[in-house]
Amino acid sequence: MVNVMKGVLVECDPAMKQFLLHLDETLALGRKFILQDLDETHLFISSDIVETLQARVDDLMDQLSIPVHDKGL
Amino acid sequence: MSESSKSKLSLKLNPSPTLQCKNLHEYLKSRTPQFLETLYNYPTICLAVYRELPELARHFVIRLLFVEQPVPQAVVASWVSQTHAKEQSKACEALSELSVWQEAPIPGGLPGWMLAQSFKKNLKVALLGGGRPWSMSSSLEPDGKARDIAFLDAYALERWECVLHYMVGSAQTEGISADAVRILLHAGLMTRDAEDGSAVITKAGFQFLLLSTAKQVWLFLQHYLHTAEKRSLSAAECLAFLYQLSFSTLGKDYSTEGMSNNMLVFLQHLREFGLVYQRKRKAGRFYPTRLALNITCVSDAAGPGPLLSAGQARGHLVLETNYRVYAYTHSSLQVALLGLFTELLYRFPNLVVGVLTRESVRQALRGGITADQIIHYLEQHSHPQMLKSESGGIRATSVLPPTVVDQIRLWEAERNRFTYTEGVVYNQFLSQADFTALRDYARAAGVLTWQSERTRTALVTRAGHDDVKRFWKRYNKT
Repeated sequence: MVNVMKGVLVECDPAMKQFLLHLDETLALGRKFILQDLDETHLFISSDIVETLQARVDDLMDQLSIPVHDKGL
Repeated sequence: MSESSKSKLSLKLNPSPTLQCKNLHEYLKSRTPQFLETLYNYPTICLAVYRELPELARHFVIRLLFVEQPVPQAVVASWVSQTHAKEQSKACEALSELSVWQEAPIPGGLPGWMLAQSFKKNLKVALLGGGRPWSMSSSLEPDGKARDIAFLDAYALERWECVLHYMVGSAQTEGISADAVRILLHAGLMTRDAEDGSAVITKAGFQFLLLSTAKQVWLFLQHYLHTAEKRSLSAAECLAFLYQLSFSTLGKDYSTEGMSNNMLVFLQHLREFGLVYQRKRKAGRFYPTRLALNITCVSDAAGPGPLLSAGQARGHLVLETNYRVYAYTHSSLQVALLGLFTELLYRFPNLVVGVLTRESVRQALRGGITADQIIHYLEQHSHPQMLKSESGGIRATSVLPPTVVDQIRLWEAERNRFTYTEGVVYNQFLSQADFTALRDYARAAGVLTWQSERTRTALVTRAGHDDVKRFWKRYNKT
């Protein structure tokens, strides 16, 4: 019999995929959310987590960026 | 999942569509053939459409103009050498899309082309003269208080900025009518605030603000025409009048005599937006401004610089490699626009200093403005000094410092590291044949987003799920 699952396909670069796997393993969002690991650049995740996930990724980006210019006060 | 949360999700998953600015050709293409049919009753429209056609298509039209019977398609094809078949099919497509010509069978069964009757008749009128004289061409006494071009430019600019001003939420509401507000709302450029019912700008509105003036006017008028029917104005008649205006001369006055009541109403609206100038409502004469003359020039995106010569031709922005932006302006509209994507630091009587930061640019990107729009805006309004400063050796394609341009693009790219697509996974097929059958069906239907033969997994879009499910049930029965 065929198994059918609803969710959201995420396409991203391999580095970001590893970040998502890490979030999933460490339960950083409170629970597991990856339904299926498809390939290097594709993941299938549950759709109700997308919002939280986007916020989390934004946080990561904020941490990664360093203001390159002073405001010259 | 409940219906409401589902729609919210899909809204979020699809990145906000960028604002489409159609040119005349694209606009007409999206109309119904019946509407086009009525449009072609106006010689001005026929001429405008003719001018916008690809070169080869114009050639076809002229060759067919005086032929009173269908011409075999093979004959039309023979006018162009085989090496340019691509251009030829493009030209034919354009003519069909705009219903300039129709397929007509020729006795003997060959397919033929025939120009649309009304188009043929009215293009002849436009090119050769004849027909009724233009209503606004009746002669006038010289105007005692004639206005010169500089005055008209200033007037047009002031009126149009009034609309833009209203959009950026400068609290002033005078100088803009309820009608204009309704169009902005209808166009989705502004929306009613849920709490107090006041109009607030939308994402599309932000993008609108960064377009060139000619594009703004044209987009605005398109929406005006959409709502025209509700005001018992005929969209075709309005469009014809607009094009008549675009063929008129700047700085010359025209008579309102012989214009129908509907058109006089339309004229008052145009007056409000600054497309025409009238001293008094009952003056009996009006001056078209540059805004009206330029509606035909929307298509060339990289046109001959900003079209409003008055206040905008000379840019006012200096962008330095340290991300600072200096704006030599005292218009609060310009400052508000700049504030969309920069962090403003100082404000002086004629100078504003801001800095492009990651946060401020991201704020704009979240608002639906694209990096290209920001860069284009900065480029378009560059101070003449910027053009001079880099005249030595290395001259990039853009006058802006490449570091800043690249950084803005990087900031945009970093937001797009993920794409989300709602979908349904099918896996754990019992046999490879089952999997292949389902995958091929989904692929043929164009709903397959991802598949892997090794793991026998197929991903189908949410929209295609029902269809594929039905197929699978049928497949299993047989």
